[in-house]
Amino acid sequence: MKLTLNKKTIILSSLVLFFIFISLLFVHNNFNLYKQPIVEITQAIPKDKKESIGLANNEGTISHQRLVGKIKNGPYKDAIILLENTYSSSGAYDHKYQVGDQLFITIQNDKGIELTGNIDYPKRDTFVVVTAWLFMIIVFLIGKKSGLFSIISLIINIFILLFALNRYTELEGASLLLICSGLVVFFTVTSLLLVSGNNEKTYAAILATIIGTFSALLIAYVVMKITAERGLRYEEMAFVTRSPQKIFLASILIGSLGAVMDIAITITSSLYELYDKNNFISLKDLKESGTQIGKDIMGSMTNVLFFAYISGSIPMLLLYLKNGAPLSYALSMNLSLELTRALVGGIGIVLTIPISIYTTTYFIHKRRLSK
Amino acid sequence: MNVLVYLTIILFLLMKLVGGEKGTRSFIALFLNAIVLFVTVFFMTVQAINPILITLLASIVISCINLFYINHINLKSITAFFATIITLLFLITLIFVIVPRSMIQGFGIEEIEELTSFTLYVGVNFTTLAICTIIMGAIGAITDTAISISSAMNEIYLRNPLLTCSSLFKSGMNVGRDILGTTTNTLFFAFTGGYLALILWFKDLAYSFGEVVNSKVFSSEIISILCIGTGAILVIPITAWLSAYLLTKYKINLVTNQ
Repeated sequence: MKLTLNKKTIILSSLVLFFIFISLLFVHNNFNLYKQPIVEITQAIPKDKKESIGLANNEGTISHQRLVGKIKNGPYKDAIILLENTYSSSGAYDHKYQVGDQLFITIQNDKGIELTGNIDYPKRDTFVVVTAWLFMIIVFLIGKKSGLFSIISLIINIFILLFALNRYTELEGASLLLICSGLVVFFTVTSLLLVSGNNEKTYAAILATIIGTFSALLIAYVVMKITAERGLRYEEMAFVTRSPQKIFLASILIGSLGAVMDIAITITSSLYELYDKNNFISLKDLKESGTQIGKDIMGSMTNVLFFAYISGSIPMLLLYLKNGAPLSYALSMNLSLELTRALVGGIGIVLTIPISIYTTTYFIHKRRLSK
Repeated sequence: MNVLVYLTIILFLLMKLVGGEKGTRSFIALFLNAIVLFVTVFFMTVQAINPILITLLASIVISCINLFYINHINLKSITAFFATIITLLFLITLIFVIVPRSMIQGFGIEEIEELTSFTLYVGVNFTTLAICTIIMGAIGAITDTAISISSAMNEIYLRNPLLTCSSLFKSGMNVGRDILGTTTNTLFFAFTGGYLALILWFKDLAYSFGEVVNSKVFSSEIISILCIGTGAILVIPITAWLSAYLLTKYKINLVTNQ
């Protein structure tokens, strides 16, 4: 029995390794999938001249390099091309390229002996795939079966999300908030069913998650209405062609969902654990234990959201500050939306604690009555 | 009044109402973390200091706040603290391998189109900054998982003090497996929420799938969130092992003392 299990593991893991190898080979050589010409750098020659640049106390240099590369796809396949590149020591928007780097380019001149062109941006898909595999392998190694389930539920969620957003952009006049509300209900049901199975505990968690997320959204909406959205700077989202308010509300809804789900499942499963160990436990005791667990987890959960949201704004914040923008302006321009998301997520987390205690005790109470 | 002020007050009242004294402490911890974060950003504007060093120091201060201030100093929080530090070291190695090669530092064209009046040559190395950003994004999730596992293992050990190191490790991993799914969900939805606008924009401008995957805005986010997720999951076996080791060692001391 044990031997066959080991055999199974070996076959499965070698299959996975094979799959990973093939996908990496594919993504490293998928040039023909792209219409835009891709160049692999074969030679990178630095130019001697370096320029110093910068404002007072912001030192830096700009360097130039000449690149020779081979085109990997399209009508000019295998042709040699010359490229020029300029990069700075800070590298906020430019890059220093090395031999072996793959870049997307636009061909400028094909009249002379040698082709010349402009660099658009580096090919990054290989790294995305490598990091994704790394993540999935670690989830699988550590989580085994439940790891596999959470990967499956993530992949399903991504596809459903993309499908729904596709429909939204195609439909005229559809409400994004309504679509996202539907998504939230769907995500909650599928994720929780996959994570903790089809049972009463899961129903209690699903109910608590949905009530918690929507109450947090309602609070956010009411506050935004009362204050006429004072303090929110949508400039950060200036690029969107739609109403930023609506997108922002939808993003709050989806953004807090994960954390709320986390709290709901933790509390309901601990309370059911207590109930299973002692079927005669009083509702009052259950409520007390639930509050105790809630107290323990709310601090660290609010921190998870806080850091996950705020950290991404650090580079832009630094750019503002280094350009001499006043502190309050830099903070409100870059952090107002992120802070709002983190705060509403935090409100959702805290609200979900009593809500999931209530839904769990309700289900347990109902079960006792029916007996 | 400002939206942020209102929401902060509501959050504080709710935390106090639901969590009592511990809730208030959790809110203060959040506030302190925000201050640490802003001080860190301020220090990063000083060119002479290495940003990664500042970030590491900040991570240590933040884990102290999250673990020792909210939970007091005890074996649980000390275990979680060291597990966090060990995980951070692993994570930094991973980030150092991936980030510079994938060229995801700085800003994409979508982000700087609006900033024509700004100079981008500000004397900050944005590759280092990208590394710092990922570490900062991960620290909350890592301490959260670490303290959940170490306190659960503490409970298990208190109820069954005769467990061996390896079976204690196994129960720790079981607890970790339950947490893993919800942690990845939390991060995934936070990411999706934060970038909903961007996803819609890509769709409106009819970016092809290839353009989206290779664009800096998208790839830098997805690589960051995958690194953060990897850190939040790596902390599971590290905490389980450290906790099992320390708890069983502590038991040996107890026996020899008697």
